[in-house]
Amino acid sequence: MIAKRFNSTAALKKTALYNLHVSMGGTMVPFAGYSMPVKYAGMTHIESHKWTRQHAGLFDVSHMLQSTLRGADAVSFLHKITPTDFQNLPVGTSSLSVLLNERGGIVDDTMVTKTGASEFYIVTNAACAAKDTQFLQDQISGFDCQWQPIENRSLLALQGPDACKVFGSLIKGGPEALKDLYFGERRPFELTDGVQVQAARSGYTGEDGFEISVVDSSAELLGKLLLDNSLARPIGLAARDSLRLEAGMCLYGNELNDGTTPIDTSLGWLVSKTRRDGSLGKFNGFEPIMKQIQDKSNSVVRVGFKYTGKGPAARTGTPLLSEDGSTAVGHVTSGSASPSLGGVNIGQASVLKVARKAGTKLLVSVRNKVFPVEVARLPLVPSHYYKK
Amino acid sequence: MFRCSTQVARFAPTRFAARNVLFLRAQSSNAVNRAQLPFTFSSSGPSAIKYTSQHEWIAAHPDGTAFVGITKYAADALGDATYVELPEAESELEAGDSLGSVESVKSASEIYQPVGGVVLEGNEALNDSPQLINEDPLGEGWIAKVKLNNVADLETDELMSLEQYEKSLQEDH
Repeated sequence: MIAKRFNSTAALKKTALYNLHVSMGGTMVPFAGYSMPVKYAGMTHIESHKWTRQHAGLFDVSHMLQSTLRGADAVSFLHKITPTDFQNLPVGTSSLSVLLNERGGIVDDTMVTKTGASEFYIVTNAACAAKDTQFLQDQISGFDCQWQPIENRSLLALQGPDACKVFGSLIKGGPEALKDLYFGERRPFELTDGVQVQAARSGYTGEDGFEISVVDSSAELLGKLLLDNSLARPIGLAARDSLRLEAGMCLYGNELNDGTTPIDTSLGWLVSKTRRDGSLGKFNGFEPIMKQIQDKSNSVVRVGFKYTGKGPAARTGTPLLSEDGSTAVGHVTSGSASPSLGGVNIGQASVLKVARKAGTKLLVSVRNKVFPVEVARLPLVPSHYYKK
Repeated sequence: MFRCSTQVARFAPTRFAARNVLFLRAQSSNAVNRAQLPFTFSSSGPSAIKYTSQHEWIAAHPDGTAFVGITKYAADALGDATYVELPEAESELEAGDSLGSVESVKSASEIYQPVGGVVLEGNEALNDSPQLINEDPLGEGWIAKVKLNNVADLETDELMSLEQYEKSLQEDH
């Protein structure tokens, strides 16, 4: 039974919302060293998923590592460890990026917000916290800047078409105050009772929404206030994963790892055009990554796929074959039934470039039976960001 | 049942709250539904109903025909079923052989044949309505109809009565 293998709950950390999760019937599971809710009583995984697509879902993402980078060399340091242009990024805006090792492999994916000319707010994956900390401390030597994890702040993600209404009703100025906060922007807001928060218009579901950073001491209050609105419901890790899969987003450890470059994983757009001649500083793995871009020498790419019929879902590691079954063309990196697409099985995969085109017919081999799939454009479910 | 065959172990529940188990027990929801085929197949009802430690149930009738499925406890733990892999008719299965699998969005779990027999049919209704696994796992959501090699095989100590099964759930957690 599954329970037996995961019963060492003693050492798990708790977020500031732990008691709230338990009081709402959260099924708590160990995740990246934390006890986190996988789902809540009264809503199934599929219901949670659909609620987020139709209304607003509240996710506790406080387990993710929030940190700051400050100092004269902050931009040059970011330009060593990431391929993204942070010099020309406007203050108050964020960019997805990746931390790169010397070979151009991805150490982690990250959201970086420019909070001042030489000041950044960084969010990295919980599961990579120890590795990232070591990496950043090793890389930063010689740079005039300081990287520091933020203690005592929670992170709440509110996602879905009603997220703006729900969060807007709690802040001074109301929903109107969010009208000029576009996707990828972040700034401070004050709740009507005076609590200060930082809200970024972003998320991991493909929906409009916010990631709200708040001091731990006010986190439970904020969570309760958001959930007082009947449009918002608490959503666990299970739906978080199926939502991000549909939205075509990467999960570190599945789509991305230390051996994959941004080009191997179809994240070439994270390599800013302005970073490609090296004049803003050469990032780690500059040569191999630029070679892949210039001569298109990467052998694999990341694609989406959909089943054309029914069958068991193709999970991580499942082999993908050519349509006639004769040739191995790649493997599934994430896969499951898609709640938004009526349960059709979907996934993301790493495939040889011959199989990259949308519409390419392939087979997945699940427990020695093959099922037909079709390569499909990412995202597999359309995104609804609030953009200019 | 319930060897997770995927990477989703990261989402595997650590423990089920004791109060949930007590609730299940009070409801006796792991009992076979008396209104559905697994029970009504013969006029006198099943001659034996047994449970495995891996959360399968088997209801055997006097003529040696038996129905196999997963318990309510297992269905609740698995979550919304999205696909059920059914066994092919005429498959000869030994106790412990894979009979099929139940998939949820997050995981896939194998189902094992509790005692030896030949598959007569899989429950085709699950092809279009996998959610029957959640709605009525011990009734409409039966997975396979099998002809047992020997009804006496059900008398092994490996298999539990409903009372023993409910007790094992309590002890487990």
